[in-house]
Amino acid sequence: MTEKTDNQPAPGAATAQNQRDSLLMEINADIKRLSSFSNRGLLAMSLFMIVSMMAWRGFPMLPHPDATRALLGAPPPANMINLVLLLYTFSAIILSLSRMMAGIEHKSSFCHVGYLTAFFLFYHFAKALDDNYWAVFGSGITILSVESYRIWSYCKEAMSRKREQLEFVKRNGRLPLEE
Amino acid sequence: MFKSLAGRALIPVGIAVTGFVVVCFLMLYSAIKNIVDRDSAVNATNLADTVLKSTRYAMLKNDNEILTTIIHNVGQQKGVEHIRIFNKKGIVNISTRPEELNRQVDKTAEGCIICHAGKVPVSTLGRMEQVRIFKNGEGEETISITTPIYNEPECSNASCHVHPAGQKVLGTLDIGLSRKALLESMASIRNQMIAFTLMILVLTVGGVTALLLRSVFQPLQKLSHLAMQAENDELPATPPTHVPRELDRITQSLYNLSKKLRAARNGTNTPNDSINPPS
Repeated sequence: MTEKTDNQPAPGAATAQNQRDSLLMEINADIKRLSSFSNRGLLAMSLFMIVSMMAWRGFPMLPHPDATRALLGAPPPANMINLVLLLYTFSAIILSLSRMMAGIEHKSSFCHVGYLTAFFLFYHFAKALDDNYWAVFGSGITILSVESYRIWSYCKEAMSRKREQLEFVKRNGRLPLEE
Repeated sequence: MFKSLAGRALIPVGIAVTGFVVVCFLMLYSAIKNIVDRDSAVNATNLADTVLKSTRYAMLKNDNEILTTIIHNVGQQKGVEHIRIFNKKGIVNISTRPEELNRQVDKTAEGCIICHAGKVPVSTLGRMEQVRIFKNGEGEETISITTPIYNEPECSNASCHVHPAGQKVLGTLDIGLSRKALLESMASIRNQMIAFTLMILVLTVGGVTALLLRSVFQPLQKLSHLAMQAENDELPATPPTHVPRELDRITQSLYNLSKKLRAARNGTNTPNDSINPPS
């Protein structure tokens, strides 16, 4: 027959403590992930700035538009690229505002940098980059600013909820009931 | 600013509207500039054709005096920057600038390189390829068109001439037109568009701000004030008025609840005092 010492915790209490610790770790990890995710918009903006600088210099690392034209054929006319850029800008802003309204976590910033780079390249190969550089740049700044704000505000809200959960778990050892 | 309701509502709308209007303005300006450039190129080409047709008879007759007079007269027209006729070897035979006469032009210069890039010069060019836009020595933007003077049967068969029938191009006519007036018009269009864009932005963002302030933020402020009053047990005699329907429901409920709470605390029951919420 063994005797329990007073210092040893009961098995139920140890399990609850473990559960509490794992919950705290999980919430802390979520906060860390959200904190790094909130910078995603700014990173995308920085990448776009680098691409814009290369476009400003006329993409020195790329072959001359005439060489590309000889290889791939004529690019679409500048008017058509303008029209597509306008539609893209409109759709991207509407989509971003809709996601902001619905509170959806969507990691779309970097794909916008890809689309905008494609516009720069199309204008470059159509020899119309000088006339349309600022349009693509303005479009990029607008879309990425709205996206950055959307991601940042989503993360701020989610982080504040997670901090409240953290406090609740510290006090009660369990997650609060879902609203 | 980012935490307030006004900031959250207005910042994304402000960025989206401002950005989209600016992008539209830039595209519209670019489209107008392209159309104006194309039209000015067509005008320059037409002028070059007119000069060639006017000087054709003098060239056939090899009448250098009439040819020079025509070129000088056309050159005196307002907006014409220069007119030159080069021979096959690239030497300036006739020019509105006397200092250029009998001088060889640099074939690698802008406007010449288009045809002289290869070993054999190109003898035919499309309309837009004949046009070039550059800044002259005085820093003034100029549109210039280079038109080849082709050999015709009348030229090779004429008794006075020495051009063989196999020679395709006899020389080149080069006309430069000043773009000063055009650039001034473009600057005027640009300024007007900037003014319109700013007005649209002020109207849109200002309109949205005013409406939100009137319909949402001011009633919310009243509601917040009422909540504070209820918390401090300083409830007004009547609940706030002129509140939109959705917020009015909350205001009435808050007012009634606070009143009931106060009555319960004072030990009196006044159920009929409550104001009925709107249906």
